[in-house]
Amino acid sequence: MRTLGSDVKNWCTGYVEAWDRFWFTPRLPHTLSVLRIITGVMLLYSHVVLATDLTSFLGETAWVNNETSRQLHDGAFGFSDFGRTYLWYISSPTLIWVHHIFTIGVTACFAMGFLTRITSPLAWFLQLMYLHRLTGVLFGFDQIVTYMTMYLMLAPSGSCYSVDSLIRDRFGSPSRGRFWKWLWPESTPTISSNIATRLLQLHLCVIYLFGGISKTRGQTWWDGTAVWYSVSNYEYQSMNMTWLYRYPRFFSAMTHATLFWEVFYCALVWPRLTRPFVLAFAVMMHAGIALFLGMITFGTMMIAANMIFISPEWVQGSLGKMRAGSPESGNS
Amino acid sequence: MASDPNVLTKQGRLLISILIIGHLLAVVLPPLSVQTRGPIGQSPSIATALGLIERYSQMLYIDRGYAFFAPDPGPSHLIQAAVTDQNGKRVEWMYPDREQHWPRLLYHRHFMLSEFMEEIYQPPGPPPELRALNRDEAIYWGEARKRYEHVRRSVVDHLKYENPDKEVAIRRVEHLLPDLLEYQIAPIELTDERLYRVLLDQNVQEATSE
Repeated sequence: MRTLGSDVKNWCTGYVEAWDRFWFTPRLPHTLSVLRIITGVMLLYSHVVLATDLTSFLGETAWVNNETSRQLHDGAFGFSDFGRTYLWYISSPTLIWVHHIFTIGVTACFAMGFLTRITSPLAWFLQLMYLHRLTGVLFGFDQIVTYMTMYLMLAPSGSCYSVDSLIRDRFGSPSRGRFWKWLWPESTPTISSNIATRLLQLHLCVIYLFGGISKTRGQTWWDGTAVWYSVSNYEYQSMNMTWLYRYPRFFSAMTHATLFWEVFYCALVWPRLTRPFVLAFAVMMHAGIALFLGMITFGTMMIAANMIFISPEWVQGSLGKMRAGSPESGNS
Repeated sequence: MASDPNVLTKQGRLLISILIIGHLLAVVLPPLSVQTRGPIGQSPSIATALGLIERYSQMLYIDRGYAFFAPDPGPSHLIQAAVTDQNGKRVEWMYPDREQHWPRLLYHRHFMLSEFMEEIYQPPGPPPELRALNRDEAIYWGEARKRYEHVRRSVVDHLKYENPDKEVAIRRVEHLLPDLLEYQIAPIELTDERLYRVLLDQNVQEATSE
């Protein structure tokens, strides 16, 4: 009886230790910092593109005007959710423009890593306000870029490859106070970097798992024709790939591989043995979506999101070597 | 939490662990609720669990289903606009339009709008017999129709704003995918007019009688 009790205790202790290791082992911020640059630039691009036709998407004369957008959330049509935004109440085109220019400024600061501790949560909050206003015109790109911004704000993602790191190295000293060290953190391993990394990794697993499960309900993902039907959608395609009909073995193999890869991603991305293959397939598939299905922004962001499984030590080493080899370093 | 950010007390770890579990539930349950929805509605157990975190996930926009190109790749849905000036001259065009909407992200925003019009479409109604059979279902029908009409009105108003002093009309068009077997025998252009179908806004009885 005593043996059984101690076995259960050891088993529980083992789980607690594994949980602790998984979530609370400090991690370097280098991968997150690279992702901050990519995410920031893509988010900035999204806001700049919106600016080219701003009042068609925001304000009283938009495709979906302020009132209708609010009613889509507040239960006026019987369907309600908790998505809320102050943008439903901004009618003045001048104010909409001032707000948008402010958003572009904040997002640019986030991308270059300037005052990242402040601009990172602010960029995420502003993006969230846009999402709840832009109901009806959003797609997968908006989801992944928002999730990445959300997780990046939890970590010191501006502590390297950033303006913040230049300021810290130029003006920092050991005598600086706690606020300074919080605002311009060292690029050392932290628990918050690890938590942000783990949350994004798990969120990505959930996205692929349910993406795969929802495909298993279809017929074409089983009979092997889904990839051909996807590329034969005129509105999506950016390059005509309908000639693939001549190669049914190829497009059906791509269909089956995509389905199984999505369903099993959440299991196969963790072991070091299978991870390179899983990530290589992710790059191929999303590059295909970017190049042939007209979603270059979505494809790029999904490839970037998969980078979260690359170790920060590898990123640090690779970028360090690149820097050492650059003409500016004087080592070449 | 201790002053060193890398040293957490037991209480600190416990608190963060609870927050992490709550967040992960908010990530997993929305797509799970989509997959566990059937003819009788949502799975009761998933619906109960979802109720605990639904507002949080909606607020953070993580309440998504992630069903990309699923369950099967399907046809596209477009908006056809017709603008008539005071002399009776009529111009028609489609949304989205690759020539007009550039860069691609802007094109995609217009494409998603036309797909949204299809997603929320509800025929006029409800049929009189539904009111007698299932009052809740009839109310739902009426509200869904109201939602579609409001969005449609907003789209028309936008086009009127862009084209002052002109008459504006819109209709939904479905762009079908070619059938693979037929395509293998006789390939056609994806813009072949046989692949376009006007979606009429008519009640269920009219649609059935056709």
